[in-house]
Amino acid sequence: MKDSRLTIFSIAFGVLYLVAFYYDLALFRYYPEVSEFHWLRRDDLGAVILWYGWIATAGLASAAIAYAVPRSMAERLWPGWAWIIPTASVVAMLIYERRWFV
Amino acid sequence: MIVVLLIVHGLLAVALLGAITHQALSVAALAPSANGRWNFFHRFRGVDATAYTTPIVVLFAVTSLGGALLYPQYRIDVRPALEDTQNVAANGVFEIKEHLAAIGVGLLPAYWLFWRRPHTAETAAPRRYLTWLLTFFVWWSFIAGHVLNNIRGLLP
Repeated sequence: MKDSRLTIFSIAFGVLYLVAFYYDLALFRYYPEVSEFHWLRRDDLGAVILWYGWIATAGLASAAIAYAVPRSMAERLWPGWAWIIPTASVVAMLIYERRWFV
Repeated sequence: MIVVLLIVHGLLAVALLGAITHQALSVAALAPSANGRWNFFHRFRGVDATAYTTPIVVLFAVTSLGGALLYPQYRIDVRPALEDTQNVAANGVFEIKEHLAAIGVGLLPAYWLFWRRPHTAETAAPRRYLTWLLTFFVWWSFIAGHVLNNIRGLLP
C-alpha cells in the first residue's frame, strides 16, 4: 500500500503519546498564568500545561519513525495493526486513568 | 472572546458528531427490517460515507485546535475550582478527553488513508474500526465537554 508511512505515523503516535504522558516527556511546557512557553520546568510560574508538549513530543518522534522506516517494510505492514495498536493504547490509557474514579 | 471561541468549538463539535455518527453507522452491518422497508437507522446509515472523510478530518483537527486554545482558560479557572470542590471524577473525565483528542489527531492520517484507498476486504476492517474508534473519541469528548461546561448547574 502506498503512503503506508502515514499508517506508521498513526500507530506510533498513540503509543508515543502515552509514553510521553506517562514519563512526563513534554517537549515544552506552557504556563497559562503568565502566557509563557519554557523548555524546562519552572515552579515559580504557577499552573502548567504539559499536554501541548506531549503532543509535540509524540508528533516529532512519530514523524521521525515514519520517515526512518523503509518504504518496503511500511508497505508490508499488516493493515490490522492500524487499529489494533491504537485501540490497545486507548485501553491502556483508560486503565491508567481509573485512578480518578476510585 | 473566550465565550465566542467556546460556542464556535461547540458548534464545530456538533457538526463533527453528526458526520462521524453517519459514517460509523454506515460501516456497521445492520440486519434488514422485518418488513423489508428502511427504518430510521437504515436511512441514517444510507449515506455516501466516503464523502464524509475529509470533512471529518478537517472538523476533528479544527475542533481539537479550538479545544487547545480554550485549554489555558480551563486550566486557570475551571480545574482549580473542581479541585477545590473535591470533584476528582470531573477532572478525570477531562483528562481522558484530552488524551482521546490527542490520540485522535494522531490517528487522522491512517483514518484518511484507509478511506481513500479502494474499498477491498483487506481495508474494510481497519476502515470500520478506525471510524468507530474516532466516533468513541468524539462522543466522549462531546459529552465530557458539555458536562464540564455546565457542571455548576448540574451539581448541587
